[in-house]
Amino acid sequence: MTPHEPVNILMVDDQIGKLLTYETILAPLGENLLRANSGREALESLLKTDVAVVLMDVSMPDIDGFQLADMIREHPRFDTTAIIFISAVHLTDVDRLKGYARGAVDYISVPIIPELLRAKVSVFAELYRKNKQLERLNLELEHRVAERTRELQDSEIQFRSLANSIPQLVWMAHADGSVFWYNQRWYDYTGTTVDQMKGLGWSSLVDQDHVARVAEGIQRSWSTGEPWEDTFPLRGKDGTYRWFLSRALPIRDASGHVARWFGTNTDITERKQAEDALVKSERLAAMGRLAGIIAHEINNPLEAISNAVYLLQDHSSLDEEARLYTQLANKEIARLAHITKQTLSFYRESHRPVTLSLSEILDNVIELQSRRLQLNSITVDKRYRTSGTIQGFPGELKQVFLNIIGNAVQAMPEGGRLRIQLFPSKERRTGRQGVRVSIHDTGMGIPVEHARQIFEPFFTTKETKGTGIGLWISKGIIQKYDGTIRFRSMRLKQGYGTCFSVFIPAVMATQSNESAAEMIAGGRTL
Amino acid sequence: MILDRTAVILCVDDEENALTLRKRVLQKAGYEVLTALSGTEALEILRSRRVDLVLTDHLMPGITGIELARQVKSQHSEIPVVLLSGVNEIPIGADVADAFLSKVEGPDSLCEKVAVVLNRS
Repeated sequence: MTPHEPVNILMVDDQIGKLLTYETILAPLGENLLRANSGREALESLLKTDVAVVLMDVSMPDIDGFQLADMIREHPRFDTTAIIFISAVHLTDVDRLKGYARGAVDYISVPIIPELLRAKVSVFAELYRKNKQLERLNLELEHRVAERTRELQDSEIQFRSLANSIPQLVWMAHADGSVFWYNQRWYDYTGTTVDQMKGLGWSSLVDQDHVARVAEGIQRSWSTGEPWEDTFPLRGKDGTYRWFLSRALPIRDASGHVARWFGTNTDITERKQAEDALVKSERLAAMGRLAGIIAHEINNPLEAISNAVYLLQDHSSLDEEARLYTQLANKEIARLAHITKQTLSFYRESHRPVTLSLSEILDNVIELQSRRLQLNSITVDKRYRTSGTIQGFPGELKQVFLNIIGNAVQAMPEGGRLRIQLFPSKERRTGRQGVRVSIHDTGMGIPVEHARQIFEPFFTTKETKGTGIGLWISKGIIQKYDGTIRFRSMRLKQGYGTCFSVFIPAVMATQSNESAAEMIAGGRTL
Repeated sequence: MILDRTAVILCVDDEENALTLRKRVLQKAGYEVLTALSGTEALEILRSRRVDLVLTDHLMPGITGIELARQVKSQHSEIPVVLLSGVNEIPIGADVADAFLSKVEGPDSLCEKVAVVLNRS
């Protein structure tokens, strides 16, 4: 109801003349004036419309004013309806009026003074209007409260379902830092109960090496109100620790005081492992670069020394003892040469891969090994069914095959057969297409107990001769191509056989159509 | 080529010690050896002397071994070139030479390689 909306004024009198008089008096108020000729008519009118003021004569033929007032008052709907009696003043009447303690009741004595009637009706009409406004405001307010409550409930439900659905562990704490709520994931991960987690219960789950720092940091935040962040291992229900990035943010009230803390713990174990691995591999790459540079710098003087000893060993002036020394020196030179060869291009020589052919790389490696192959009387059986054209880094791939072939040659000091196969292949486990290089030797085989360690760093069976990093580096290189390297060693009719197999997937490989027959080079001794 | 005389090898390296020792090793293997301390000097010698094989280091100041091999091939296509390097990698472009040899392979390998290349040409 707007402030000046007209209200209904019901005038009750059995005499039409009086009604007309009231109308004339009340017209300037601008309210709606309703007439009723009897108590019955008045009741009908009251039931149909909202009436602000009932103006009625006390003495009426069928239902008199007091009876009508009683009836009106009985109905709760008319609680606020004001009643003005028009009557000659009798003491008895005044007494009866007092009976209507509830609601607004007044009277006007005859003869009517128009200003007085207008004033009284106007007061009650205004009162009614105000009451109605108040009622409406109340109703609105109630609606708003209900709505807000529902919104809060909704947002609480939303918050909880959100907090339970995200992968993070979530918690809330009071301003003093005592935690009063954890999400389900927290309990799922830690396997703890609500009771165990009360207050500072969480600290029992933090890794012992970190708990002091974590507690100190979080305590500082509780007191300063600054956000908190730390990473540390948190114990899971199975007793193993995982790394979490933990954060707490203060939630402030309208006056800026910390009302509560909102905290999350994000599992960063994988990220941390990847980062650690990256740091390690970067360190390794740097080490490799350095090793490559050093190897190169050593190779030059090494050649000179090697030549000098070579010239010295057969020198006519040497006695037996001196000759023995040169032999020892030669052995050590060979060892040095082996070490620098091992460290060759431990790193990628350029940032861009080039198109290369694995068959060329293999030929190259065989060429580099030719002397030893000949010395050990090893037969080479090359079977290439593809050129093995791929995108890659020639240096490191050559290193891989130099390593495997070098090992094979060393495994056959008494001679044997080295078979090198290159063919298009599908990886059985993943179904990926690619190229495979397999290198078979008829050497001494690999004992089962070495099988697990063979790709580990610093594992060697060559005692002083090996650095123990060759296969480990090779595996690392092949993994960079998303490829695999594995081996099999078995007993043959005569002696043993070992086969190293390197698979490089087709993402890197491009098949070529060369005829298989052309590529097969029969067994020949190099 | 089968020579009825001692084969002449032109040995090129900017490091004098290494060059001297390599020369002695080759002499011991029965070759006549000429030496040059740079690619430029080598090309000069080639203009005036008959040489059966050029054995050159790769990494040298000025003209590299590969560049020298390229020039030898364009001026004296019949002379074989063996490229020698302290890098275990075969450098890109090394295929212009007839053979590549890593320094760490040692004197026996060196003599063998030289013999193989001389017999081939």
